Amino acid sequence: MQDALVPVKADDAHGELIQLVSFNLDQEEYGVDVLKVREIIRMPVVTRVPNTPHYVEGVINLRGKVIPIISMRKKFGLMEAENDKQTRIMVMDVEGELMGFIVDAVSEVIRISGSEIQPSPAVVTGGIDQECIAGVINQAERLLVLLKLEMMFSRDEKKFFSGM
Amino acid sequence: MPPIDCEDQELLEGFLTETTELIEKLDDDLITLEKASDDTELMNRIFRSIHTIKGASSFLGFDLLVKVAHKTEDVLNRLRKGELVVTPEIMDVILEATDLVKLLVGDIKAGDIQEREIDGTIAKLLPFLSENAGAAQKAAEPVQPVSETSPAQSVETPVPDAQTSPEVAPAPEAVPESTPPSQPQPAPVPAPKPATDVAPKKAPAPPKPADSKGDDLSDNSTVRVDVKRLDDLMNQVGELVLERNRMIQINQDLQQGEAERPDFQEEFGKLTKRMSFVTSELQMQVLKMRMIPVEKVFKKFPRIVRSMSRDLGKEVDLQIFGEETELDRSVVDEIGDPLIHLIRNAMDHGLESPDERVAAGKSRVGTLVLAAVHEGNQIIISIKDDGRGIDTERVGRKAIEKGLLTEEQLAALSQREMFDLIFLPGFSTKEKATDLSGRGVGMDVVKTNIKKLNGLIEIKSEKGQGSEFILRLPLTLAIIQSLLVEVEGEVYSIPLSSVLETIRVDQRKFHMIGGQEVLKLRDMVLPLIRLQKVFNVQQRSESEDFCYVVVVGAADKRMGLVVTRLVGQQEVAIKSLGNYLANIPGIAGSTILGDGRVTLIVDPVGMIEGNE
Repeated sequence: MQDALVPVKADDAHGELIQLVSFNLDQEEYGVDVLKVREIIRMPVVTRVPNTPHYVEGVINLRGKVIPIISMRKKFGLMEAENDKQTRIMVMDVEGELMGFIVDAVSEVIRISGSEIQPSPAVVTGGIDQECIAGVINQAERLLVLLKLEMMFSRDEKKFFSGM
Repeated sequence: MPPIDCEDQELLEGFLTETTELIEKLDDDLITLEKASDDTELMNRIFRSIHTIKGASSFLGFDLLVKVAHKTEDVLNRLRKGELVVTPEIMDVILEATDLVKLLVGDIKAGDIQEREIDGTIAKLLPFLSENAGAAQKAAEPVQPVSETSPAQSVETPVPDAQTSPEVAPAPEAVPESTPPSQPQPAPVPAPKPATDVAPKKAPAPPKPADSKGDDLSDNSTVRVDVKRLDDLMNQVGELVLERNRMIQINQDLQQGEAERPDFQEEFGKLTKRMSFVTSELQMQVLKMRMIPVEKVFKKFPRIVRSMSRDLGKEVDLQIFGEETELDRSVVDEIGDPLIHLIRNAMDHGLESPDERVAAGKSRVGTLVLAAVHEGNQIIISIKDDGRGIDTERVGRKAIEKGLLTEEQLAALSQREMFDLIFLPGFSTKEKATDLSGRGVGMDVVKTNIKKLNGLIEIKSEKGQGSEFILRLPLTLAIIQSLLVEVEGEVYSIPLSSVLETIRVDQRKFHMIGGQEVLKLRDMVLPLIRLQKVFNVQQRSESEDFCYVVVVGAADKRMGLVVTRLVGQQEVAIKSLGNYLANIPGIAGSTILGDGRVTLIVDPVGMIEGNE
């Protein structure tokens, strides 16, 4: 699986087809590499973990494995929203660790060619850290923000996680 | 891992496993040999081990290793044939050579073969191989009374292939200046630094690599499991499969609406019971496989005690009991260091020199007892000496001198708390730091490691009669008994091994001392921590007058955790929270309860530390 990932990434710039899972967050549409997404689940009971950054919702039991849950909205500084029927947790592989991200809704898997990815315009995304945006995909009637998972957490945040 | 010049990785792994095992055994055998030098069976076994190591390493092309093993083998061969007699000096050199072999094997294992200085050790071996071994023995160790047999041997030729290593320096003059193999060592092992300028016979060097490197060697990345245990496991799994099939069947019945059948409930109840039986059996089996006898750690000690008693000029009789006691490998890995420190401590501070002992009306030879025993879900290891015991007055004075506490504080301490002073970092009663002790680090290491294992330390000591250090450790770290508590609606789990007692108290009985809530419990003042506060739990209901206090202990400290309600006791499997959430203060991990929810495991040790 890891191996399969490499050519796709390497060929980003050369117009190879890549597959993205698209999801919604506060009226914007985002995409992440399909190979990073392990599964998409509904909201289970989340156990709060004390003394963690505010965007860490807690941990859940994913078939016997305990994984942390991050609220994408809180992480990106967006308005908080009630969980509803559409709310999903995307379980993704962030640098070898499984993590769940709460998103408003997951829409579909799309194929795009690497050439469609444009560098993100400077201020397009409001509160979102620029670092984790790999680019913007501008298709006929939609605008998709491509996220780079490995940049989700800044160095300081990682230090906080591992060195408290 | 940089590629080793060895095509067959499997072969190499086999070699490493075998060699490691042989070396471990070797150390033990050598010490025994010194005591029973006429045991030919033992002698032959030692010889065979070294021979096997030599053979295997030459086959795989580890030249340095071959050279050292070869020379050692030669010396052993002469011992075996009765051409030499076992003396402490010969043993020192052979042990040093064994250490070098360990070091080299360690290198191979780490995949990082380096040119190590081996000539020093080899040079020390050589005198015992030369034609006039007896004379060389005399030259090297003038103090040592030469055994009568040696002149006779001088006629005999040395072992045939003694010349295979051409670059070895000519023997006799190499001896005095031969330093331990300490030159190019970027390895983490502290270079054996003593005896650089002293005559080699005094060298306390050999034990050093053994202490630190020995740990690396006996690292436990592979397990050997008794085939019978595997068969048992397979049986259990077979039963589990049957029960699963039964469960599928019952589920089908349920789907088809047969749940109304009168016996359905009974069937289901039975299945649940059997499932629970099989799984707990399975759990025991797997746990057993992870268990290794504590002997693995204990067998290093005769060697350490031997070299220390020689260095300190003390006579010690080390008695080991219960080395067959089994405990989880993760625990075994962790207790090595603390035990070494405790033994050092007993040897250096506890036991007196032979003369002092005689003066105090005791036998010349001190006794050091190392014992392990199971007690419920715990293993108890005790290190007991019949030395001078802990002088609490002296300890107290030292603590004040070092500014670790004030006169008033000292006056308020109980006997037990006085003992606990020795665990303070930086505490030492020694005026001067030596190689062995006096830096005030050892006992701190003991405390830290034992805390890490959720263990407890207890000290018993009587002045003039000796001291006993008792360690209580959990058998395993993977599955623990835990106490579930509720804090304003949230459930947390506290490792039962740290729980000393639980009490229901009226909150109005809490006192406030210097901003710290405390509870007077019998003759003790117990500092309190409100879990609700440390975990920022939202207040759900009106706070009641009565709450529960869970008294926890870690190493030598006690503390009370205030909770809303006790839920019950449960056996839980520890799950890590993953790298991202690994270091939350006060949380040791998590576990999954019967209803599938995740519950956090409180880390009493961290709590106590955090509160200090």
